[in-house]
Amino acid sequence: MTLMVSIRGEATEKMKVDNINLPKAVGVWTRPESPRFINSKNIFKYMNGAGELYLGYRFDHLEVFDYTSDSQDNILVELYFMETSDDAFGLLSLDWGGEPVSFDGSPTAASNKSVTSFTRALYGGGLLRSWSDNIYARVMAERETPASKKAVLTLGKAITANTNNPPEPELVKILPLEIGSAWKLRKDRLGFFRSYLALNSIYYLSHENILDLDLSAEAVIVPYEHISNSGDKRRSQFLLVQYENHERARKALNHFHDAYLPEYKKEITADSAANSPSLFKLEDGWLAYKLFGKYIAIVFECPDQESARAIIQKNVSNLPKKGGKS
Amino acid sequence: MKDKKAVLTRRDFIRGTIGVTLGASVLGFQWPKGEAKAAGSSLVTVMRDKNAMDASKNVDSTILEKMLEQTLIKVTGQKNSKDAWLSLVKPNDVIGLVPTDHLNPTHDEVVEVVERSLVNAGIPKDKIRLAQGGPSNPKECDSLIALPGLKAHWLTGIGTVLKLYILYSGSPSSYHKSNSSKLGEIWNLPFVKGKTKLVLVDSLYPLCDKGPQPDPRYQWPYNGLIAGTDPVAVETVCLKIITEKRKAMRGEPWPLSPPPICVEAADKVYGLGTSRMGQIKIEHYGWEKELLL
Repeated sequence: MTLMVSIRGEATEKMKVDNINLPKAVGVWTRPESPRFINSKNIFKYMNGAGELYLGYRFDHLEVFDYTSDSQDNILVELYFMETSDDAFGLLSLDWGGEPVSFDGSPTAASNKSVTSFTRALYGGGLLRSWSDNIYARVMAERETPASKKAVLTLGKAITANTNNPPEPELVKILPLEIGSAWKLRKDRLGFFRSYLALNSIYYLSHENILDLDLSAEAVIVPYEHISNSGDKRRSQFLLVQYENHERARKALNHFHDAYLPEYKKEITADSAANSPSLFKLEDGWLAYKLFGKYIAIVFECPDQESARAIIQKNVSNLPKKGGKS
Repeated sequence: MKDKKAVLTRRDFIRGTIGVTLGASVLGFQWPKGEAKAAGSSLVTVMRDKNAMDASKNVDSTILEKMLEQTLIKVTGQKNSKDAWLSLVKPNDVIGLVPTDHLNPTHDEVVEVVERSLVNAGIPKDKIRLAQGGPSNPKECDSLIALPGLKAHWLTGIGTVLKLYILYSGSPSSYHKSNSSKLGEIWNLPFVKGKTKLVLVDSLYPLCDKGPQPDPRYQWPYNGLIAGTDPVAVETVCLKIITEKRKAMRGEPWPLSPPPICVEAADKVYGLGTSRMGQIKIEHYGWEKELLL
């Protein structure tokens, strides 16, 4: 189900905050004139260790508004200004749960053409999360009531009103939705990130940064689920990382192999889309990896070599020719 | 051949070789070979009342007081809460109450009923203080009562008992990233070690994912107090409840990610208590629905 939000007459006395017009009052709630301003230097004071999450993306600053009321619990508005829209997308992608919300009347997540098309805002339990332009927003009612829900959605609409809806990151658009007739991509589990901490919160690999991830890299992880009539929900995790250049990708794959597959001989094959990936039988199934230009593709937990090979090859075939080698 | 430093990975958890890898000083500490505690040595109580919070999540302090009293009696084996407190602390102790003060904080009502109960037990009010914050706080206290809120944490898996004292380190950011597994060492700082007389977890309205930032989709009314004198055992029981709730929400196993190795490390490296369920005696009282144990 999709929430189509069309709320009028709620916003009064607007103030321009960058390109966001947040109402001074919404329902019985009012906000202060100015936000609390949080940057990378004081983010831990504001949210303790949770700050690492935002610093793992290209974070610029955060503006926080507390909407208060004499009769109702507060509504918290957090506007995370990121350096790129991809980073704002990444923050939303950490959890696709909730009810899709559309503020402009367009359908949400209805299309199969793109991985996450049109899903730009999600609501659940009093919390609205949205992605527009380079802004990731969290609007949360401390207590969900019909009135607070209406206010939260009004604020969401105000946040997104004058912003653009940029496309998903290129890396996300590359992913095939299906691998032959056997594997289907789980859109609702797709995560876009740059930091190993964010990766570990989605799919744990190591307490150390064994893929040399940093803010210059971008990565996506998503499970492919086995298509079966038997109710068998086997999943293989597919990871695609784009580095600054081929050399960094090569070094990262070497580091990954040394840390994750120390007992196996290194088989980083020549840099060609046509070459078979390197395959390894592990405790939880088959792992395959491939270096292609500035990209690394890895699949985990495959039931057999053929599946591992197919998932890697199909994804790699969608990458730019020569893997964007530089 | 050049020696390569072993790295803890997902494969260690699948193979059950975390200890072996950590034993290779992966995180800069040694994993002992021996068992830390004798079997069956730690008691954890889970006290619940379905009316502890109403539908609007207002806490009923009267019910909470009764839950606390029963908790104290069951944890200590004493006949009333006064005797229970006096078996845990000395009458002249400066007692620090240590709640989670930020992001899903401990309910004020929990702190208040604990303070009232201590005063009723004869502890002078001016000897009781809030002791969350930097290292000066535990230094000024003879005894600490840990009052964390139950929540998952995206950096450490769980962010409840062991993480409660992170500010006591004086450098909390040094326990982020891979060093989060070392949280137990804070409990062994000279001005912290041995001072924690009771761990009482506010599990009225826990958070099972996306912590520490609140996310109401993953919070639910458990309406409980979880208590014990072994911080690792209490954390382990908390972990079990969070894990079971996640499984129930998704209808399939949904392990915490990253895995909370700080809990096992607190047991096997820092000797703070036991993380082995077989060595924990869980006693639960009151409301049985969705006990998750």
